[in-house]
Amino acid sequence: MTAAIPAPSTPVLVPPRTRKGRTVVRWLSSTDHKVIGHLYLITAFAFFLVGGLLALLIRAELASPGLEIVQNKQQYNQLFTMHGLIMLLLFATPTFAGFANEIMPLQIGAPDVAFPRLNMLSYWLFVFGGLVAAASFLTAQGAAAFGWYMYAPLTNNMYSPGLGADLGIFGLALAGFGTILGAVNFITTIVTMRAPGMTMFRMPVFTWNVLITSVLILMAFPPLAAALLALGADRKLGAQVFDPANGGAILWQHLFWFFGHPEVYILALPFFGIVTEILPVFSRKPIFGYKGLVFATIAIAGLSVTVWAHHMYTTGQVALPFFAFMTMLIAVPTGVKFFNWIGTMWRGSLTFETPMLWTLGFLTTFLFGGLTGVLLSSPALDFQLSDSYFVVAHFHYVLFGTIVFAMFAGFYFWWPKFTGRMLDERLGKVHFWLTFVGFHTTFLIQHWLGAQGFPRRYADYLPQDGFTLYNRISSVGALILALSMLPFLWNVYRTWRSAPPVTEDDPWGHGCSLEWATASPPPRHNFTSLPRIRSERPAFDLHHPEAAATGAVAPSADLLGRALDGRPERDA
Amino acid sequence: MRSHPAPRVLRPWRRRFGLITLAGVGLLMLTGCSATVRRGWEPSTRDTTNQTGRIIDLWVGSWVAALAVGVLVWGLIIWCVVAYRRRRGETGYPAQVRYNVPIEILYTILPLMMVGVLFYYTARDQAAIADTSAEPDVVVEVVAKQWSWDFNYVDENVYDSGVQVQLDGTPGPRATIPKLYLPVNERAEFRITSRDVIHSFWVPAFLYKLDAIPGIENTFQVVPTREGTFAGRCSELCGEYHSEMLFTVEVVSRQEYDRHLQELRARGQVGRLGADLNRQGAGNGST
Repeated sequence: MTAAIPAPSTPVLVPPRTRKGRTVVRWLSSTDHKVIGHLYLITAFAFFLVGGLLALLIRAELASPGLEIVQNKQQYNQLFTMHGLIMLLLFATPTFAGFANEIMPLQIGAPDVAFPRLNMLSYWLFVFGGLVAAASFLTAQGAAAFGWYMYAPLTNNMYSPGLGADLGIFGLALAGFGTILGAVNFITTIVTMRAPGMTMFRMPVFTWNVLITSVLILMAFPPLAAALLALGADRKLGAQVFDPANGGAILWQHLFWFFGHPEVYILALPFFGIVTEILPVFSRKPIFGYKGLVFATIAIAGLSVTVWAHHMYTTGQVALPFFAFMTMLIAVPTGVKFFNWIGTMWRGSLTFETPMLWTLGFLTTFLFGGLTGVLLSSPALDFQLSDSYFVVAHFHYVLFGTIVFAMFAGFYFWWPKFTGRMLDERLGKVHFWLTFVGFHTTFLIQHWLGAQGFPRRYADYLPQDGFTLYNRISSVGALILALSMLPFLWNVYRTWRSAPPVTEDDPWGHGCSLEWATASPPPRHNFTSLPRIRSERPAFDLHHPEAAATGAVAPSADLLGRALDGRPERDA
Repeated sequence: MRSHPAPRVLRPWRRRFGLITLAGVGLLMLTGCSATVRRGWEPSTRDTTNQTGRIIDLWVGSWVAALAVGVLVWGLIIWCVVAYRRRRGETGYPAQVRYNVPIEILYTILPLMMVGVLFYYTARDQAAIADTSAEPDVVVEVVAKQWSWDFNYVDENVYDSGVQVQLDGTPGPRATIPKLYLPVNERAEFRITSRDVIHSFWVPAFLYKLDAIPGIENTFQVVPTREGTFAGRCSELCGEYHSEMLFTVEVVSRQEYDRHLQELRARGQVGRLGADLNRQGAGNGST
C-alpha cells in the first residue's frame, strides 16, 4: 500500500516522496475518511492474522486425541474464546467500518463523512478496545476462557477469576462504542451528504447495505454494551445482575443473542453489498431487480432482530415455533438476493478477473451455509446439532464464506482506488484457489463430525469415538488455508514496490458507481467534478453513454414545474 | 443491441457433460441405498428410541429438499459461468436488463411456500418430541456439575455419582465413565438441572439434547427401544474440563435395571444428590 496521499488540491499520478515519519504522523492524526479506512482495514487484517494463528493452534490440538499443543485445557479454552471474539468483533466488524469509510463517501459523491473527527475517535476506540482485549493473553491467568458468547454464570468471579476476563469484557465494551459511533456517522453521511441527483433509489447497493447495517448496529450494539458493563459490574462491583438465583443465566442469553444474531447480519450485509458491486461490473450488465434487492436487505435486517432465541432452542425456555418460523422466513429474502445475483449474470458477458472469482467463491460457499442454516432453524433437528461441530461448520460457511471471500473480492476490486495500483492477477488467482480448497477441506467435513456427535469446544476426544480421521482432514485443510495467505501478502508487497500506477479513473473498464468517476486514488476531497447522476450507474453512464440507453428518460413536460415545487424526479 | 444471443446448438462437449452429470446422479442414487446414507449419517437408527425414526425422517427429508435447492442454484451459477462467459474477440454489451417483475414475484413466492412446508413438518415433530404429558415409568433426575453428572433414580430413591473422566489420548478410560441405566421399552422422564454453571445433556444416539441450567429444571421424556450402550456428552462449554464431562447411557432389560439399582442401594447410595448441594457437601447425600 502506498504510504502517501496526494496533495490536497490536485490529483497527481505519482505521489511525491515523503519521509516515513511524516507519513506516520499524518496517518495517525488524519480525519480523511480514506486514510481512516486504510487504518481500519490494516488493523482489522492484523487481527485477522492473529485470530487465524489461534485457529491453527486449535486445529493442531484437535488433529489427534490427547493434549499435544497446549499445556492444559484452560489454554485451549482461551484459544477458541479469543479466536471467536477477535474474528467477530476485532476483525469482521472493523472490516465493515473500513470498507464503509473507504468507499461509501465516494459512492454518494461526498467529500468526506459527516463527522470526520468522530470518525477518527471511533477508530481509536476500536484500536484501544481491541488492544486491551488482546493484552489479556499477557496476564497471569491468561485470556478469557468462557467462549465468545460468555454464558453466565461461567463468567462470574467464582468460575472465571482473573484479570484476563476483565480486560476482555471491558476492552470489547470500549471497542463496541467505537462501532456505535461509526454507525451514527455512516447514517448521517448517507442521509445528508448525497450528491445532487443521488436519490435513495440511485444509491449503490453497497451504500444501501452500509445504511441498513448501521441501523442494525444501533439496535444491537447498545444491548451488548449494556450487558458487558453489567457483567463487569457483577465481577468488579459485586452486582447480582447475572446471578442464576435471579434467572440471570437465561437473562444473559437473551441480552447477548439480541445482540448476537443481528451481529451476524451486521457482518453479512456489507459484504453482500461488496459482491453486489462487483457482479454487474464483470457481467457488463446492471444489477437485476435493484429495488427487490434493496427491499430484501431491509427485510433481512427487520427479521434479524426477531430470531435471537434460535440460539437458545436447547435451553427449554423459549417459544420454539415462533422463533423457528421467523428464522425460516429469513431464507426468503436471502433467496431473493441469490436470484438477483444470478439474474445479474444471466445472459451477461462474464469475465473472471480476481474480484469476480472471489465473488463466485462467495456465492457457492455461502449458499451451502444458507442451506444448513435452514436445517438448523428447525428445532426438531437443532436438538441434535446445537453446540456440535455442525454448527461450527455452518457458521464458518456463512461467515468465512461471506466476510473473507467478499473481503478479498473487495480488496482486489478496490485496490486501485485505495492505492493507485492494481494487485497482481496471477497471484490473486493462486490465492483464491488455495483459499477455496483450504476452506472446504477444513469445514465441509465438520458437518459430519457434528452430526455424529462431536461437541464444539472439546479440547480432546476418545480414540474410540471415531472422530480422529475427520479431525485430521480438517486440520490439513486449516494448514492449506493458512498457506493461502502467503501469496496475498507477497502480492501486496510486490504491488507496493513495483506495480505501475493506474492512470485511469476506472481500470476495470465497466465500473458502475461514482468511485469509478474520480482519480485512483481520489484527491483529498474525492472529486474535482461530478458526473450527472441519472441512474444507479453514474460512472458507467459517463464512460459508456452508448450502452446507457435505458437509463435515459425523455424529459417530461412539467420537469421545470416539479423542480420548482421541490418534488423529486421520477426514477428511471 | 443484442450482440449476445445465447448459444443454441448442443455442442459435443456439452453432451458429454450431460452424460457425466447423469452418471454422477446415478452413483448418488446407488450409494443412497446404504444404511448410513439413508439415515443421513446420524449416529442412530430408526429404532433406538420412540423419537429417532421421526427425527431421521425429518432430517433426511429436509436434506433432500435443501440439496435440491442447492443443486438448482449451483447449477444456475455454473450455467452462467459457462454459457455467458465473454468469448474471445467479443465486443459491445449484452442487453441491459434491469428487472423482470413476474420472475421476481415467482422467486419470492416459491421459497415462501417451501418454508411453509418445512415449518409444518418441523412444528409437528418438535411438538411430539418435546411432549412430556404422558405418565413416565421411570424418573431420573440428572444433576450436572463441573465436570461430571449425578443421576438420581427418583422412584427407587437411589443415586449414582460420577467423577470426571481422565482423558489421556488412549482408549483406556471407558471403564471410569459414569453410567446412566434405563430399562428398555419404558418411558423415562429426565429432570435436568445444574449445580453450578450451564451444561447440556446430550445423547447423540437419541438425537436430542437439553441444557442443564442452574435454577431451572428442564424436562423431557423418551422411550428407549433398543438395548445397548450409547455415548453421552456435555455439549455446553462449562469450564476447563468440558471435554471430560462424558457419560454413557446403558439401555438394559428391566431385570438388569433392577439389579443395577439394587447394587446402588447395597453400596449405600440411598437418597438424592440435589442441585442444592454445594461442592463441599457433595457425596454425603441429602433428602
